[in-house]
Amino acid sequence: MEGKSASLASRLTSLGMSLTVALGALVVRLWQLQVIQGDYYAQLADTNRLRVHRVPAPRGLVVDRRGVPLVVNRPSFSVSILAMELREPARVLGEVARLLGLPEAEVWARWEAARKRPFEPVRVRRDVGIAVVTVLEERREELRGVVVEAEPVRVYPFGTTGAHVLGYLGEVSAEELEALRPKGYRAGDLVGKAGVERQYDAVLRGDEGEQVVEVDAAGRPLRVLREQAARPGNTLVLSLDWELQREAERQLQGLSGAVVAMDPRTGEVLAMASSPSFDPNAFSVGISPREWKLLSEDRRHPLLNRATAAAVEPGSVFKIVTGLAALQEGRTSSRSTFLCTGSLQLGRWVFRDLQAHGVVDFTAGVAQSCNVMFWLLGRSVGPDGLAAYARRLGFGQPTGVDLPQEAAGVIPDRQYKERTWREPWYPGDTLNMAIGQGFVLVTPLQVARAVSAVANGGTLVRPQVARAVLSPEGRVLRTFPPVVQGSLGLSPSTLAALRRGLEAVVERGTGQAARVEGLRVAGKTGSAETPRGRPHAWFAGYAPAEEPRIAVVVLVEHGYRGGLSAAPIAQAMLSRWWQGQHAAGGLGWSAR
Amino acid sequence: MVRTVTPRVGEPRSVRRRLRQVDWILVGCTVALVVVGTLAVTSATSTPQQPLGLLRPRLAHVAVGATVLVAFAALPYRSLGEGWKVVYGVNLALLALTDLVGRTALGAQRWLAVGPVSVQPSELSKLALIVTLAWSLSRRSSPPSRWTELLPYLLHTAPLVLLVFLQPDLGSALSFVAILLGMLWAAGVPRGQLAGLVAAGLLASPLAWPLLKPYQRTRLLAFLDPNADPLGAGYNLIQSKIAIGSGGLWGKGLFAGTQNTLQFLPMQHTDFVFAVIGEELGFVGAVGVLLLFWLWLWRVLQVASSARDRFGSYLCVGVASMVAFHVLVNVGMSVGLAPPTGIPLPFVSYGGTALVAQLAGVGVVLSVAARRPKILF
Repeated sequence: MEGKSASLASRLTSLGMSLTVALGALVVRLWQLQVIQGDYYAQLADTNRLRVHRVPAPRGLVVDRRGVPLVVNRPSFSVSILAMELREPARVLGEVARLLGLPEAEVWARWEAARKRPFEPVRVRRDVGIAVVTVLEERREELRGVVVEAEPVRVYPFGTTGAHVLGYLGEVSAEELEALRPKGYRAGDLVGKAGVERQYDAVLRGDEGEQVVEVDAAGRPLRVLREQAARPGNTLVLSLDWELQREAERQLQGLSGAVVAMDPRTGEVLAMASSPSFDPNAFSVGISPREWKLLSEDRRHPLLNRATAAAVEPGSVFKIVTGLAALQEGRTSSRSTFLCTGSLQLGRWVFRDLQAHGVVDFTAGVAQSCNVMFWLLGRSVGPDGLAAYARRLGFGQPTGVDLPQEAAGVIPDRQYKERTWREPWYPGDTLNMAIGQGFVLVTPLQVARAVSAVANGGTLVRPQVARAVLSPEGRVLRTFPPVVQGSLGLSPSTLAALRRGLEAVVERGTGQAARVEGLRVAGKTGSAETPRGRPHAWFAGYAPAEEPRIAVVVLVEHGYRGGLSAAPIAQAMLSRWWQGQHAAGGLGWSAR
Repeated sequence: MVRTVTPRVGEPRSVRRRLRQVDWILVGCTVALVVVGTLAVTSATSTPQQPLGLLRPRLAHVAVGATVLVAFAALPYRSLGEGWKVVYGVNLALLALTDLVGRTALGAQRWLAVGPVSVQPSELSKLALIVTLAWSLSRRSSPPSRWTELLPYLLHTAPLVLLVFLQPDLGSALSFVAILLGMLWAAGVPRGQLAGLVAAGLLASPLAWPLLKPYQRTRLLAFLDPNADPLGAGYNLIQSKIAIGSGGLWGKGLFAGTQNTLQFLPMQHTDFVFAVIGEELGFVGAVGVLLLFWLWLWRVLQVASSARDRFGSYLCVGVASMVAFHVLVNVGMSVGLAPPTGIPLPFVSYGGTALVAQLAGVGVVLSVAARRPKILF
């Protein structure tokens, strides 16, 4: 009996010890969970119960110099999925696809993305109709995890007009996100992809607000714990004059080309049109892959801003450079005369002009666009001199305009030719360069800047499309004063001689189609031979000739003759502008 | 010197003398656990519409349980053993009846409707098994050490395990096994034999896999990797750990746990009531509850070792094994150390039959304690 109870006692002792060890292990585990990892789990518990709703900020407006709204917002609803609340994906996603009229595969793809970020709503569709929103709200309980959020949609009321300057929006790409995440951008956000939407994205974006809401396990909001209102984006005032812009677009209808109008004194861009154009509204709610393919693979390149990003042969408008160089270097003067026989013999090569102009002085040579005279002038200045003056006028490098994606163009010299073509520079190359052929490539905006420098007395100013930034309440936050990029260092007589020639072009020369009743217009036509088809037609000019306040450049691709197809467009632009000058108030705030 | 006094069983005593023989530490621990449980259950079921939640039915359970406890404490425990055939028969009959006509809830057929009350016979059978095993083991002159001697005990327990497993109630089925092992150990079955039994059970467990319901399988698999399906099968485990961990050292305060009150915790008044305690009372409260259980178990084993007869000892060991198994598996599940098998926390979780049965068990232990030989100095 004693032995038995001793054995029972020892067995009970070991049972008690094992239980003590087991309970001790639970205490250790509790210490680990509650004390060591307590903060981590506290955070998880908060993630469970707190929903941070993003309150999207309406993007800032874009208006023209007179306040005409060019880009606005329209209220709309987006539908997103919040993975952590979505319990029955098979049923709910199918229902969502049906209600939104989307292929189920697309909704499932979004669900896959949402599962990776279970606490963030992932957008399924923007701009959902009010009928669908009503149904979704009514069936909120059975469609848990489907979230409807108010989110303004970008609207471009003028459609294709000015599309290249205004730009468009798109979902931020993975590469863009790398750089933008620290600034608060998140996957699925819309950002500017082109034009001022892109250039001034930070100005227009605004600060999104947030709402911290406590929810229960069913996702029902119980109370708002914290709230911060969204701050709408700032208003961007452009220097564009919408009347001129619309005129430019009207003139380019059906053509490929570009029109730039700017104030030669300040660099303010008054109009910038590129044709063919596109409708940025198509991008506002997310462009479909098919639409995108059509636009980006269109051989007429509607997305390309021809005013800034298309570098083409300038043809005779480049004679402005040759003329300035020869005058300033003393190779000619307004009193010099030339004999034009219609051709120039260079060794065993004969360079032919369109016609024999006979004896011409400098002014008449410019007016008639006499190739022989400019060949002679170009040869006397030499290729290095031509290149140096071209660069001084801003060719061969981007203008620095406040728009993304600008082409630099090409000003060739000996090194360029040897590097690119592995050939020495021939004397014939100098002749070609003197009349803007050969390897010279320029953008319409570069031409506008150069012609503005001639018009304003020799100052290179940076073209600008932004004029001011206003707070949502209308307070001026920032203005964009003119930026002087350099002085041409030309003597007054040089400028005077060239400007006389340019006036003669419109008065009695090749550019008579640009004449405007009551307005003295100066300019230069160009017909640029191109290996890709009929010559490009150019016109570059300014007005009033005595005190220039507007410079206009027109490029019509394959327009054949500047005087025939480009000068009339310039005429339309200038007369529209001239009408505006006489209307009450003139060009609004442009009176400085 | 030491003199032992053995009161005669069934001898009438004054109430005062009886109260003096009560193990007040054991009673105190039990009361403390029931009170903590009542608070946790109320917090877990309180809603803005019904701030008191399930407090009323819980108090009813406590009242019935207290009465049963006193009754069993007053009852001479040997009379339980003498009626073992009746106990075992009624037990089997109730379980069979449950499997046949029981009420189904949460996917399992575990309840018998008796008028307006639902009874969960599997909770009562645990106690019944303890009584019948203890009686049988105490009648032997030597411990069952050979396999042929062990076989009757296995055959005795197996029908209960099977009937409960079919409900299905995996946790209760396993708790029968735990009770059997604990009592065989106390009865002196050699280590080798017990180890062999456990090994055989583990080897045979894959055979039970095909019999498990799909939800049981996913729950067990989710235990291995809760994050494989955080919104599905792994949800309960993850939310329980979040609740306990976020309680920190001092807890968020009673009725202030967000995991609990915002319903992120599932079954927070039954299987996951410990998570409510961990969240609202913190490490301090959770360890306090474990200390109460430790003290409780220590007292019951004390009574077992000083009982007047082996029947009394084995009864106490059986009750201790049952409670220990429930505590370890329930708390282990809440902290992510044990797979979820649906086992409530004794004295604490909401559930009438379980509470009454557990308090009856305490009554039995008190009865054994009151009738042990007194050591007088």
